[in-house]
Amino acid sequence: MKKIILLLIPFLLCGCSHDMNRKEIDEINFIHVLGIDFSDNEYTLSALYSTGGGTDPQGESAIEEVSNGTGKTPYEAYEDLVLKNRKAITLAQTGFFLIGDRAAETGLKLCLDFLSRDQTIKMESLVYIIKDEKAADFINKGIENKQLIHEDLETIKQKQKQIVTRNDNNLVNILNEMKQKYSGILIPYLIAEEKIFLIEGYAVFDQLKLKDYLDSETSSGVDFIKNIIRTYPIYLEDQADLSISYSDTNLKSELDNKNIKITIKINFETMINEVITEENIFSPEVLLELTERQNKFVKGIVEKAVNYTTATGIDILQFARLIENQHAKDWRNLEADWSENILDIEYEYVLNSKIVKSFILD
Amino acid sequence: MDITINSQVIKELFSKSSDVLVRPIKINQNDITFHIFCVDGLINTELVDIAILQTLILDPHLSECRTERKVMDYLLDGGAYHVFAIEEADYNLVLKYVLSGMVAFLFDEEQKAIVYDVRMFEKRSIQEPAEEGVMKGAKDAFIEVMRMNTALIRRRIRSEYLVVEALSAGKISKTDFALVYISNIANLDTVKKIRDIINNINIDNISTPAFIEEYLVENKKSIFPQIMYTQRPDRVSANLSDGRIALVVDGMPFVYLLPCQLPMLMQTPEDYANHFYIGSFLRIIRYVSMIITLFLPAFYIAATTYQNQMLPVKLALSIQQAKLKVPFSSSTEVLVLLIAFEILIEAGLRLPKTVGTAMSILGGLVIGQSAVSANLLSPAVVVIVSIAGISGFIMPNQDLSSGIRLSRFLLAILASIGGFFGLVVGLIIFITHLCSLDNYGVAYMSPFVDVEAGNHKDTLFRFPIKYFRKRPNKIVPENREKQN
Repeated sequence: MKKIILLLIPFLLCGCSHDMNRKEIDEINFIHVLGIDFSDNEYTLSALYSTGGGTDPQGESAIEEVSNGTGKTPYEAYEDLVLKNRKAITLAQTGFFLIGDRAAETGLKLCLDFLSRDQTIKMESLVYIIKDEKAADFINKGIENKQLIHEDLETIKQKQKQIVTRNDNNLVNILNEMKQKYSGILIPYLIAEEKIFLIEGYAVFDQLKLKDYLDSETSSGVDFIKNIIRTYPIYLEDQADLSISYSDTNLKSELDNKNIKITIKINFETMINEVITEENIFSPEVLLELTERQNKFVKGIVEKAVNYTTATGIDILQFARLIENQHAKDWRNLEADWSENILDIEYEYVLNSKIVKSFILD
Repeated sequence: MDITINSQVIKELFSKSSDVLVRPIKINQNDITFHIFCVDGLINTELVDIAILQTLILDPHLSECRTERKVMDYLLDGGAYHVFAIEEADYNLVLKYVLSGMVAFLFDEEQKAIVYDVRMFEKRSIQEPAEEGVMKGAKDAFIEVMRMNTALIRRRIRSEYLVVEALSAGKISKTDFALVYISNIANLDTVKKIRDIINNINIDNISTPAFIEEYLVENKKSIFPQIMYTQRPDRVSANLSDGRIALVVDGMPFVYLLPCQLPMLMQTPEDYANHFYIGSFLRIIRYVSMIITLFLPAFYIAATTYQNQMLPVKLALSIQQAKLKVPFSSSTEVLVLLIAFEILIEAGLRLPKTVGTAMSILGGLVIGQSAVSANLLSPAVVVIVSIAGISGFIMPNQDLSSGIRLSRFLLAILASIGGFFGLVVGLIIFITHLCSLDNYGVAYMSPFVDVEAGNHKDTLFRFPIKYFRKRPNKIVPENREKQN
């Protein structure tokens, strides 16, 4: 009994000193999507939450509502949002953070700092950049188009998982990447087409500020180098369309004084999805030719990502981290001039592939 | 004070009891009269008449017996046909024998009696166990007659080492006990301890199981069963050969097993009747159910009132929408429904079977559905409490089930006060309490807390029988070999 009392004392003390955030589930508005914008020296947060629907079969179908809060910092805007809401709000169920173009240009640090300090936040929430647009406009456009925004974003998340093996744009990953001194950060950007949202590629951040948007192919090149490709279509003109079923990338760095050489070795397997020629593409000679063509295709994509790094000096492929890991001692000499060294890296590509399945139904 | 055996004294003692018979019997013409002393309804009258009295009356050799002593010797030497016949001079013992259903012939001059065991009273036939039924396995169950129960055990263990020790307790009831164990396996220190406890029971009447259990249980404040009961002779025999000790009580249709540990309460005979994969699966289901019944209501309260971030978005939304029109807090809803559930169970037990079924439908379905429609309860709470309730009934032992049902109230209250923090505090108290229990020198949580790997082969998983090579070392210190 004494033990039980001893165990209960701290519990009761905690209970007495604080209400322990007691709040009934129906007294809270769960923010599903939070948009962060910056304009006129003010941050605006747009919170999207659902009302109606649920398990009640006779209930109204889910309706999404948006409320806004403004302030000089994102946190001030959040406090404003809290004040303006009829119910308590929480970020505990927020699955998506949309950062508007201007807010991203102003800097990721301030946008995400208050989120990283919220103890209820879901670290696997995904962050997206809204290309050339405010997040609030993007959300409102969706509502006007009668889209269920958080469900559409959920679909995008699922589609991402079909293409790549992991979603690197989750909050915890981005917060970690923000600590990297020499590497650029890549966050997928969204565009709104008629009644649907699409991911086109990555938004590039240098020094935590939005610099550029990568096109679709360059972004895929990044995915190849990051070794997160799950599947990818390869279109070989006049012959066949294939899709990658397995891919494995290995990066190896070599140092000779200050000369850096990075070998990008990609092994992948493809399946033939469509034959668009009359010739027999399954003869050994043609298959060999197809293999070479698909190697060239992938190399072209990868080169785009590498060339972007070389052209801009932004380490979007995180080569700094690669060299630091593989040559810890030499990295100290390279570190200081990394912005120059990155421009002079020599690249070698080794691509091995095979076509494994054709799926012909006889 | 020593009282001598005398028919007149006994007659006066039972002068107001119409069922007690003290009647003189004259033997031939020798003027030797003895008294037959028995309780009507407890004896087999036919047996007394035909096998004993008729023989006595018609036997010509009896006329040669000129004294009571000679008559007694003749009877004991086979003059009356009955297998159980003893001479007794102790007045109290004679009373005890007769009141338990034997017949005594009182010889006043000799101040002695001859007692014949002719007990036969109305009893239930051996039926299927009501609580521990199995599809594949023996269907016999204990009944209220102790001797029949010991016979059921003896039928399964034909070993000369099986000891059935007779004990008695209860100042008025003088209830018979049988302490059953296998003498070359069981820990004799434990046997002695149990024997001493029973001998020291100083109560008038042992009318309900609690009168025995509370004496035998070491930690009386715990709500968890520390003594196992079973209706199944096969289960008793299995536990006896594992070194446990059985206690058969006259008048109770089950047998106690000691020492008792928690994993034992989670096992059923069916575990061993099925393939070991299926047996293990069923056992895991039982443990999962225990966790569900214990923690699900508390988890729901904590998740909906404090840490809603624990819930997946869609589930949180569903619960939120379902609860919007309900005027009560989640903790009130859950606690009220848990109490309502207990009321339904109690009502179901007390009502006649025919009304009970209708009541279950009315209580469970109609009131439940109406409460949801009237927005007094959210459907999620009904589902949660129903799942927790059903899971609670999967426990093979009803005492354990009751203990867990009570514990889930405590956890639900703690979760209402402190969310997951309260739940964790409750969990710590729960585990600390279980780990602190000790049952006749064996930890209640044994073999979970045992170091010896061999003891774990019949806990969460039921290993193939060939691996059951040794008896649990905590229960049986010596003679542990089960199979080579």
